[in-house]
Formats: sequence, C-alpha cells, structure tokens
Amino acid sequence: MEPTTVQNESTANESNRIIFQGRVQFGGQASEFFGIWSVNILLSILTLGIYSAWAKVRTYRYFYSNTKIDGHSFDYLATPMQILKGRILAIVVFIIYSLVVQFLPVIGLLFALGFLFSMPWIINQGLRFNMRMTRHRNVRFAFSGNYGDALINFVLLPIASVFTLYLLLPYALKRIDQYLHENISYGNKPINVNLEGATYYMAALITIGVAIGGLVIFGIFAGSVGAAMSLTSFDVDNFNISTLIFPLMIVALYVAFLTILRGVYVSIIRNHIFNSSEFEDVASFKSDLKPADYALVLFTNALAIIFTLGLAYPWAKIRRARLLAAATEVTIYAGALDIIDTAEEQQSSFAEEAANVFDIDISLT
Amino acid sequence: MSKHHIKGCYYYPNSSQHQHCFATINKSQIQLIDTQQNALLSTFITDCQIDSPLRGVASELSFAEGGRFVPDDINHRWAFTHKKTGMSERLEKSKPLIVASIILIPLLLWFILYRGIPAIAVYSVGLASPATIEAMGEQTLNVIEKVALAPTQLPDETQNDIQLTWLQMLDKLHLDSARYRLSFYQSDYFSANAFALPHGRVIVTDELVIFLKDKPDALRAILLHEIGHVEYHHGIRLAAQATASTIVLAIIFGDLEGITEVVLGSSSSFLQQAFSRDMEREADKYAIEKLITLGYSNHDFADAIQALQKKLDEQTQLDKSWLKYLSTHPSSQERIDFARQYTPQ
Repeated sequence: MEPTTVQNESTANESNRIIFQGRVQFGGQASEFFGIWSVNILLSILTLGIYSAWAKVRTYRYFYSNTKIDGHSFDYLATPMQILKGRILAIVVFIIYSLVVQFLPVIGLLFALGFLFSMPWIINQGLRFNMRMTRHRNVRFAFSGNYGDALINFVLLPIASVFTLYLLLPYALKRIDQYLHENISYGNKPINVNLEGATYYMAALITIGVAIGGLVIFGIFAGSVGAAMSLTSFDVDNFNISTLIFPLMIVALYVAFLTILRGVYVSIIRNHIFNSSEFEDVASFKSDLKPADYALVLFTNALAIIFTLGLAYPWAKIRRARLLAAATEVTIYAGALDIIDTAEEQQSSFAEEAANVFDIDISLT
Repeated sequence: MSKHHIKGCYYYPNSSQHQHCFATINKSQIQLIDTQQNALLSTFITDCQIDSPLRGVASELSFAEGGRFVPDDINHRWAFTHKKTGMSERLEKSKPLIVASIILIPLLLWFILYRGIPAIAVYSVGLASPATIEAMGEQTLNVIEKVALAPTQLPDETQNDIQLTWLQMLDKLHLDSARYRLSFYQSDYFSANAFALPHGRVIVTDELVIFLKDKPDALRAILLHEIGHVEYHHGIRLAAQATASTIVLAIIFGDLEGITEVVLGSSSSFLQQAFSRDMEREADKYAIEKLITLGYSNHDFADAIQALQKKLDEQTQLDKSWLKYLSTHPSSQERIDFARQYTPQ
C-alpha cells in the first residue's frame, strides 16, 4: 500500500506547488479611459439613457481586462442588453417606490419597511450577478450567500449596534465582510476566509485617532483662515475674492478630510481581508497597502475631482486602481490548473441595478 | 508570415487550463497552433464571436465550444470583423468628440435638469386623477398632523372671521370652495408659517394668525400665495422632479464611488432649492396678480414679507425656527421689490 500513499502525497505536494508569485498588474491609462468615459456619458445623454447600459459594460470591461494576474486578465461578462433590462425594471420599481413614499406617506411607511426586508435579497442577488459576470482564465466566480445570513448581517446586527452606543459596530462590520467574502467561490473552489474582530476594533480606534488629530489641525487652519478673513475684510479690493475662495476651500478640505479617514480605515481592513483569505491549493493573497499612501491618493483624488469640476474623475479612478493592484500580491499554486467552471444559469441584472438606483453601497475591496 | 501568425493564449472551455499558441487565418478558417506545431483547434471564422472592440483591451475570439483565444497584443484588431462593431471604439478615440463631450455634457445636463424635467413634470401633473391627489394630500396631512401639528388654540371668532374672508376670496376668484379648504393648527415646529397641500388644503399656524392680527391684508396676500402653489401643482411637480433628477443622474453617471457621489448628491439638493425658489416666485406672482384682481394692492404682499422679515431679524438671535419659512424662499428683499414694482400686464 505504500506506493499509493506516496502517490497521494505527491499529488498533494503537486497541487500546492507554487507556480506563480507576483503583484497584480493594472494596465489602464488615464488618457484612454478619459475618452471612453466622456464619450460614453455624452452618448448616454443623447440616447436618453439607453446607451448607459453599453457605457457600463464598456467601463467594467476596461477595468477588468486591464487587471491581470500572471498575465491573465479578468473578464466582465455582462451584456449591455442584460444590464439594460435590469436597469429599466429597477427604474420602474424606483419610480413607484418614490411616488408612493412622497404622495402616500402611510403606505410609504409600509414600503420603507418592505424595502428594509428586501435589502438582503437585493444585496445577495447583486453579488451573485457580479460574481457570475466575473471570469478569470475561463472560470467564473460565484456567490452563495443566503437570505437569513444577509438579514442578520446587514439589517439586524447594524440596528443592534446602534443600541450598544456603536460599541458593537466594528463587530457588525467584521460580520458583514466575513459574509461578503466567505460565500465567494472560484469555479468549483470555495474560498476560506478567517477575519478577526480584534483587527476591526483596532482599525476603528486608529481611524478615530486620526480623526481627532485631523480635527485639531483642521480647527487651527479654519481658525487662522477665519482670522485672516476678518483682517482682510477691511481691505475692500480683496474682499470679494477672499470671501468666495476661503469658504469653498474649507468645504473642499472638509470633504477631502473624510476621504483620508476612509483611506486609513479601508486600507487596514483590506489588508486584513486579503491576508486572511485563500482558495486552498489554488491561490493565496497578500495586501500591503499603506494607510498613509492610500489616504493620500484618495485625498488628492478628491481635491482634483472637486477643483476640476469632475474632469479628473477618470484619472482619479485609474490612479486608485493602479495603487490597489500594486499593493496586492497573489501566489498561485498548481491546483489552479484543475478548476472547473460550474453550471451555467440565467442571471438577471435587476438586483444589481436596483442596488445602484437605490444607492445600496456594497463593494468588495 | 508573422502577419498571419497572431501570438496569444488559448483558454480551454470551462476550465482554468490555458495554452500559449498562434492563430493563423486563411480565408474563412481560423486555426490555433501551439508552440510544438500541434493544431489545437480549427474553426470557421463565422463561428467565432468577438466582443465590441475597446481601446486598451485585447480583442478576443470566443469559439462555439466555449474556448477563447486572446491575442497578446492588446492593439490587435481582427481584419474580418464588421466595420459596425468598431464604431464605439472609434468614437471613444476621436479627439474632436472628446472635446465636444466636455463642452456638451454640462450644457445638456443643465438643459435636462432645469428645462426638460420641469417641463415633463408640468405635463405629467395632468395625468394624476383628482381622487389620487386628494388621497395624497390627506395622507400627507395625517402624517404632518401626528409629527408637527397640534389643535388650534385660536378663539372661534377669529377663525370664523378668517374663514369668511377666505370664502369671499374664493368666490370672487371663481375657485371651488370644496377643493380649497383652510385649516388652523398650533405648531411649535413650523412656528409662524403657512403651507398648502397638493389637493387644496391650506394650513395656517396660530402663530402666523396672531402675528398678523393687525394686518388682515397681509394675511390675505399670504393665503393667495399658498393658493398659487396649489393652482400651479407645485407640490406634485417638486416631488416628480426630485424623483426624475435622481434617476437621470443615476443613469448618466452610473456607478460612481466615494467623493463623486457626495459632490453629485449635494448638487442635486442645490437643484431642489433652485426648483423650490422658482416655484416661490411663481406663487408670489400669482398672489400679486390676484390681489390686484380682487381690488387690493400689490403692496399688501410686500408688507407681509417685510413684516415677516422684520420679525425674523429681531428673532434671529433668540430663535432659529424663524429661519424656516424663509430659507427655501427667494431673498426677501427681492420679493418685496418685485411686489412693490409690479405692474399688471
């Protein structure tokens, strides 16, 4: 029997042999994407929104196809018609919902309650769609979360955390991330995710620390600007310019300040998620995104978008994607060559589009 | 030869396996050959599918059995594709069109949001049946009653006097008194205020009646202003416009992230402010016109605003709630000037 054991061992060794280790590559160019973005918006307006489904597919394809691991790109598979149908249905539902809420407040209250309970379903269906539409090396991803878990994680725990003076919130956020990621599979290979609550509490404390530090600096800055303004207001010539620009700058800085906090928190959590996830014998991940780097990129992106009245958006989006890719290392094992794509099923984009119109923000880091 | 040998990668159907290879095309057939010169696949070009070309993205061939060939060169485009499929890519590369987009997008957005949507809202108001509007109005009132209104404390005599003026006014303006109803409520939340619900019920707070008790002409002007809101269907139009602009912005800009969403969100609330200021002007004009029709003076309206503004100035330090009535309205001075200088056409 010994030869068989040896062979078993050797196949085991074979499947966890490293066949690639390296950073994720992102090849998108701001100048290229600017053309795609601006022309697509124009076409969307000129076609009364119909082309927006094509625009979405083209934008997603651009980012997916330009993201490569070991030279193999991701693919976005949704078709414009699929998106268009889901979008139209989502808009019809949204119109009915808004009209009822605004005009028939009593029934609207019931609707709002119904919305709360349909949210887990929308989130699940949206993730299912997005995962099915993501492919790498001819194998698609899948998402298998169920309604009960989504209800607990997205509705009940966040509500409960309010009653604990938000002390439960980091734990609730951990549960959400755990749920979002542990239900992903690549073809027939499920992922293993092991997130730790301690990291979420630490991330929350660090973010609060940065917020307090930032507010002190911001306060000093705003104070000195205020003082400068009251001094210059005696100067009639400068009066108009300073009264216009300084408040604008303070608002811009305030918004940008929030993005710094987001950058700090997200980068700590992202590193934790990537470092605690693996497809056994297929791929493991390492993320070493530096909070300071990410916060700086988000901060400067925000300022650039505000001061160019939105024109810097494509540049900002490309720049962020490039930073995230460069901070991610993927190790691929020999088992990656044996993955089989699972059965196909019809997918509706309704939930994904509903999540967009109703502004339910769920994104995988 | 190399021109017809396209280097790339073949992905096997439904599998993570792949193979570096070359594609060769002769006439109507395409063949994949691996580095050892073994044929991997041979198929008719007509059986291949190609996604719409996209700048910076390799143009891949999908075969009927589920396999794919992805060229290494992202700029490679297949000669046999129809001209039509490359249209979007050509537009996205066109410098004149990109420049035109930058100029046209803000202009078109302005046109849609400030002209198109309000015009559609005016039209769509006609589609709502009076019964629906009645139900909407009463439901809204129920909710506001529970949240912010208390039964009136005004003496019956005062109420009857104002109701009488109200009915006389409706009669002279040929307005339906079954539709236009006047109600009094005490409200700490609204303070001195008046507002109209879409189905024709006008609510006046005790605080406003007491404040204007020596100025019946001013109160009449304010009531006419509220009737103006109902006549022009402002409540319904504003709600329809809010919904429509949310949808338009969501469709056109699609999935935006973080900061951009914040910027867009605040601009759409500025939009609501602008809409509601336009509507206040419309209602002001209605009130002034009807005052003149009824044989009163356009100055009554100016007096009403002036009195409220004066009270506001006095109270600003003490009580912020006075700001509420005027915050969604155009600047008081502008409205006073408009009323004083009004000349009937």
